[in-house]
Amino acid sequence: MVAPLLRVRDLNKIYSGKGHRIVACEDVSFDVYPGEVLGIVGESGSGKSTVLQCLFQDVIPTSGSAFLTSFHGGERNMWDADRRERRELRTHRMSMVYQNPRQGLNLMVTAGGNVAERLLAADWRRVSDIRAKASDYLVRTEVPIERMDDFPAFFSGGMQQRVQIAKALANNPELVLLDELTTGLDVSVQAGVLDLVRDIQSRYGVTAIVVSHDLGVIRLLADRTLVMKDGHVVESGLTDQILEDPQHPYTQLLVNCVTN
Amino acid sequence: MGVRALIEERGAAFEGYTFGFLDDMAKREIRRAILKGVAIPGHQVPFGSREMPIARGWGTGGLQITLACVGADDTIKVIDQGDDASVNAVNLRRLIAKTTGARETLTTGDATLIQTRHRIPEERMTAGQMLILQVPIPEPLRHVERSVAAARAMHAEADYARMWLALYEDVVRNGEVTAGAGYPVMVNHRFVMAPSPIPRWDIPKLDQAETLFLFGAGREKRIYAVPPYTDVKPLEFEDYPFSIEGFPGMSCRRCGATDSYLVTSPQADGSTLSVCSDASYCDDVLGGRKVVNQW
Ligand SMILES: Nc1ncnc2c1ncn2[C@@H]1O[C@H](COP(=O)(O)OP(=O)(O)O)[C@@H](O)[C@H]1O
Ligand SMILES: [Mg+2]
Repeated sequence: MVAPLLRVRDLNKIYSGKGHRIVACEDVSFDVYPGEVLGIVGESGSGKSTVLQCLFQDVIPTSGSAFLTSFHGGERNMWDADRRERRELRTHRMSMVYQNPRQGLNLMVTAGGNVAERLLAADWRRVSDIRAKASDYLVRTEVPIERMDDFPAFFSGGMQQRVQIAKALANNPELVLLDELTTGLDVSVQAGVLDLVRDIQSRYGVTAIVVSHDLGVIRLLADRTLVMKDGHVVESGLTDQILEDPQHPYTQLLVNCVTN
Repeated sequence: MGVRALIEERGAAFEGYTFGFLDDMAKREIRRAILKGVAIPGHQVPFGSREMPIARGWGTGGLQITLACVGADDTIKVIDQGDDASVNAVNLRRLIAKTTGARETLTTGDATLIQTRHRIPEERMTAGQMLILQVPIPEPLRHVERSVAAARAMHAEADYARMWLALYEDVVRNGEVTAGAGYPVMVNHRFVMAPSPIPRWDIPKLDQAETLFLFGAGREKRIYAVPPYTDVKPLEFEDYPFSIEGFPGMSCRRCGATDSYLVTSPQADGSTLSVCSDASYCDDVLGGRKVVNQW
């Protein structure tokens, strides 16, 4: 039995303010195994992005624990990391592809520079090596190499997403988080980006969590899937099994929508 | 010499002022900030910058450090871009001397305390001398991170990826790191520091020097320091090494020096004139005095 790469236990995130209290996710627990793609599917507002934001520590969870094997031998809650460790987790061990490329990329920095930032954070200090490595990642994500020194502000949405993926792969993170990868893209380019991610995954064995409201995306990419509704995980299992034999009424509804 | 004696000697202009213009509590606070700065080389220490009788941006940070450190038996020199004779340098020097009784000098080697803007002297400064640099923008991360709080966090975590990214982008766009005046340096292998707008020429002088360097930014209310014998390295890529300005085939039109930082100005007849930026050094060469300029 292979040990999980990541164990998440009883993750809760509550947004509270004057007179309101939003439970974004409640008692979410799951494991991610090395080399697998875990899907999280559910309607808008079900708490999927919140789970990723907590893992990447863009937001601080209200309670819960997460153990990454490489972080203090999987003994220490990742959410107890100090600032320095948190940065280390974000630049060396994990990466995030955001739904909106503006969040994941610095549009005032060249495409190559965006990828280079993670290498520079890992103390790469030879420009020629940095450029060779950055172009290697850009090639992998099918960004034309002659655009390496252009600014992604002028790229199409699909191309920006490819640069974001190249950046996310830099430094060979142990875990890649992808939030609504294709949601903002034209239908015509969605398939290309999905193929790319699938290809990269099978070729390099990246461990990833893929979040989407679209069961079609999950079907294409995820080995196992969590179904979320109103901040809760209502069902989990092998993606094929969930598609063939959904147990929870909400999952049945989702599956019917896709297959019909 | 006390203020009373000063007043007797030089007239009523100083009546009502304490020794060194600043009150004792202000001096004490500034000295405390200096000590913190010396204890953590390259780290910017906030201080309660005072109103001075000169406008902010004209060296008030450096002046406050000078006035907090200077004693009646110090010998002071003030340099403005290498020149002791500019209006600003003369005013500062006069203010310091008149409120403290310190001696004035134009000679680097004679000074115990030098306040400067944009230059480090050519003549090597030695142990016991102090160089006080006026700083307009103390935050080296200013152009990569606008938020002061975020920049401070980056210093705290030694997270300089964004700084390196700016250098990478510079190399990609321009084929080299173009930063001229104020080239960013790494102090004591820990803090990235703005060395104030000195030319690249002066950057190597900061490394393992015998002299104490103090940096004061009045408007931005920051003091920082490079103590003697501290490693100070320019940020550079292995394949794009730092280099200083060169003046191939050029010499100072006035003294003939070929081993000093030259400033070139256009002349009325269309030609250009290159002379030593450091007037004191130029005078030394002209006067045939031997000074060590190897830092
Ligand atoms: N910063 C926030 N402040 C308040 N409520 C939030 C915030 N972020 C998310 N929420 C709420 O938490 C719930 C889950 O949001 P989210 O995780 O973005 O869902 P999903 O990604 O599944 O669409 C939603 O009700 C959303 O409105
Ligand atoms: Mg979302």
